[in-house]
Amino acid sequence: MGVIAERRSAIAAGTSAPRGNFFGQVAMLTWRSLTITLRDPGTVIPGFIIGVFFLLVYDASLSGAAAFFLRGQSYLGFVLPLSVISTALSGAGVAGQAIVRDIDNGYFNKLLLTPVSRAAILLGPMIAGAIVIVLQALAIIVAGLLMGLEPATGVVGLLTLLGYALLLGMGLSGFIVGVALRTGSPGAVSGVSFLFFPLTFLTATFTPINLLEGWIRTAAEYNPITYILEATRGLLNTGWNAEALSRGLTSSVVIFVITFAFALWSLKSRTARK
Amino acid sequence: MNNREIVAENLVRQFGNFTAVNGVSFKVKSGEIFGFLGPNGAGKSTTVAMLTTLILPTTGRATVGGFDVTSQAGDVRRIAGVALQEIGLDPLMKSMELLTMQAQFFGASRKEATARAKELLELVKLSEFTSRPVGKYSGGMRRRLDLAMALAHEPEVLFLDEPTTGLDPASRRDIWHEVRRLNRDHGMTIFLTTQYLEEADLLADRIAIIDKGIIQAEGTPADLKAGLGGESINVSFRDAELALKAAEAVRDMVTKVQIDRRTVRLYLAGAAQAVPGVINRLGTHGLEPISLTLSQPTLDDVFLQVTGQRFEAEPTEDEALPA
Repeated sequence: MGVIAERRSAIAAGTSAPRGNFFGQVAMLTWRSLTITLRDPGTVIPGFIIGVFFLLVYDASLSGAAAFFLRGQSYLGFVLPLSVISTALSGAGVAGQAIVRDIDNGYFNKLLLTPVSRAAILLGPMIAGAIVIVLQALAIIVAGLLMGLEPATGVVGLLTLLGYALLLGMGLSGFIVGVALRTGSPGAVSGVSFLFFPLTFLTATFTPINLLEGWIRTAAEYNPITYILEATRGLLNTGWNAEALSRGLTSSVVIFVITFAFALWSLKSRTARK
Repeated sequence: MNNREIVAENLVRQFGNFTAVNGVSFKVKSGEIFGFLGPNGAGKSTTVAMLTTLILPTTGRATVGGFDVTSQAGDVRRIAGVALQEIGLDPLMKSMELLTMQAQFFGASRKEATARAKELLELVKLSEFTSRPVGKYSGGMRRRLDLAMALAHEPEVLFLDEPTTGLDPASRRDIWHEVRRLNRDHGMTIFLTTQYLEEADLLADRIAIIDKGIIQAEGTPADLKAGLGGESINVSFRDAELALKAAEAVRDMVTKVQIDRRTVRLYLAGAAQAVPGVINRLGTHGLEPISLTLSQPTLDDVFLQVTGQRFEAEPTEDEALPA
């Protein structure tokens, strides 16, 4: 037996089930998902256009009406995070479609037949999806800068905004991947991405939360996206605010943990002893 | 050498109300080629899916190389190579990428994996096609690459689910040759499901025939054939109705009669000597055969006997099924 079998035996000697190098596996699978996305870019290009479109339209149609609560802050900075989040919803579909595609062409089974960590198999496409979301956010930021955005926290603030986009992208991807594993259907994946969309309206969508009243205010207070919006709006318009940033961070992490658990559970139930 | 056995004990798998595999038990010895035969929907692929950890058994247990498929799934995956009936290749990727990643998944370094990938491409005769995306490969090329993927980590136990279905005769012979070589040179235990009786007969040390989720017969090809009790006279008629009449006419002369459409199979000892008597008897009933052959039992006959149906494989693109 050759070198690979020897190495495999060496790995096996250490543990009952080889973990290999978890991060190496995640990196390989992420790279693979990104490569595939580049070879078939049809699913990601619309996201870049839509993101910039959101920014232009929100800014043009609402900046006048918003002047009274902004008190000199820029409406561009106020709606830019909203554009990023709206776009992230479409970007998350990328991860879901990648899984559906692999189930369909049989490669998903090939991966499941290897000792690779089940979490890595899901994280690869999720991270790739989140990277696409970050690139789409970057396109929106560039458009914003060209339209005259002056971020209160500078370049570091913009990078922080991208960090939030990455985390939220992971969280949304986890949910979509779970749906992909349960249904194996491209239709269900795009349908569910669409269902997420109203969530961006049950938040402090076009005004700060303190201007909302009644049931929509309650909904916004329970919607974790509200806190991500507030954190990132602050970065662009008012400056560093540790409390808002940590609330936003907590919300993003909570979304990620819940949806990733859902994705893992969905993978597990595919093999269940029905 | 490590334990390379496959043991199934009363495996059951249900999908909703449907029982795909209904209490299957067998033992494949280390270094054996085991043929798993059955018609479509018999439970072959479901059994492979359970043995390779893709689905959990509803009840029962199985081990591969001594590792339990449920509680030690990671170890089973580490030592098993699997080529499923449904080829598992991403059409947008290239052969080198797929093979290199596959070897790395099993613990190879990037350098080792690259060397292994080249070796495997040579083995399956795809070295010239590395720049082409797998989606542009022919069916035979994809099947060969899929086999190479299963071999990336030099597995100890190899599962091949219908590895030659849809292949042209030359590619099929290449695969047969390779299966024998892997078994002989590397001592791999090979679990092979197939639609081709000829394939099982040629390759397998032992065979199990599965139908309706139950193993109907098991043994070496020679044992299974001998179990039928000898030779047969096969008489064909213009239509099935005549065949039915003929079966009635000669029933008392033979040990066993089987009707297969227009053909009557008469099982009896000393078939050659009995031919004149059979012809005479048919003549007195006014039954005129259109053909008459003598045959030693084949695996096909075994199959017909245990399942009550002719073994029907899906015709391949370029050749009719061997009868």
